[in-house]
Amino acid sequence: MNPESRIGPDGRDDEVTRALRTVYAAPDNPAYWEALEARILSRIRSEADGWWQSFSGWGRMGLLAAAVLLMVAGLALTHARESLMQTREQEARLAYQMVMQVPQTLPQQLVAATDGAPAREATLHYVVFSP
Amino acid sequence: MLDAPAESSPREQERALVLAAQRGQSEAFAALVRLHGRRAYAVARAIAATHEDAEDAVQEGFLHAYRALGRFRPEQAFGAWLYRIVANAALDIGRRRKVRSTEALADSVALPFRDPAESDELRRRLKESLAMLPERQRAVLVLHDVEGFTHGEIGQMLGMPEGTARSDLHHARAALRRTLSDLWSER
Repeated sequence: MNPESRIGPDGRDDEVTRALRTVYAAPDNPAYWEALEARILSRIRSEADGWWQSFSGWGRMGLLAAAVLLMVAGLALTHARESLMQTREQEARLAYQMVMQVPQTLPQQLVAATDGAPAREATLHYVVFSP
Repeated sequence: MLDAPAESSPREQERALVLAAQRGQSEAFAALVRLHGRRAYAVARAIAATHEDAEDAVQEGFLHAYRALGRFRPEQAFGAWLYRIVANAALDIGRRRKVRSTEALADSVALPFRDPAESDELRRRLKESLAMLPERQRAVLVLHDVEGFTHGEIGQMLGMPEGTARSDLHHARAALRRTLSDLWSER
């Protein structure tokens, strides 16, 4: 038979279409579909529950405790760092003040060592000759 | 509790299920899986090389649909939206499998999953011919001639213009006729 004579007005060959349907037929066993649906829903449930549900009850308690501990440790660390920064800042400020505050009067020791000399010479003498 | 009234049209019932699923009712999504599972498989099977790949594509497709459910507008047709997602999943799986040789593909297409005792000559030759068709032409042919989707629906599913689906179908049919012509001339 000429294959062209077998083609319908829509261009479809019924015999080939029938054969195609048998090749691509979906499984007709209801149990197959139930199992596939169950697999799909199980994947969706595990997605919806997320990673949290993959741990047991005790596992979840442990994770929670670890998270709280981490949070407390983090807070303590932040607090300690802030205290350290404050102390360093105070020390720096104190050192700066000590450098900047020049004494108005000569120290007693310097006065005793350079009795009678002008202040500038007395200071120089003290710096050069003092032990 | 699903709130689809029993006397409403299938489209309205489906819309109610979609809305319920969007509100987080898992049994509503399960009902959508039951409603569209077989058709989704048919779409995936038309594109995928094997039954196993089609199954994977259906599962992936429903999972993607579940994740994207919040973005779905209920006035759309849920089926068309879902089948497009399933088709994309099947195409992705196909791309991942591209490394396989033509021979392996021919084997997989020629291997029926439920009827290993193949005896009919037309079916055997048809499977060989299908294996030689370009992937997209094969998908268009099966989606149109076996599953009854329109050119427009196929174009949407496979992400191409309706005219391309029409021309792919024409070329696929012509190729099949050519490869099967000696079979008919023998009769």
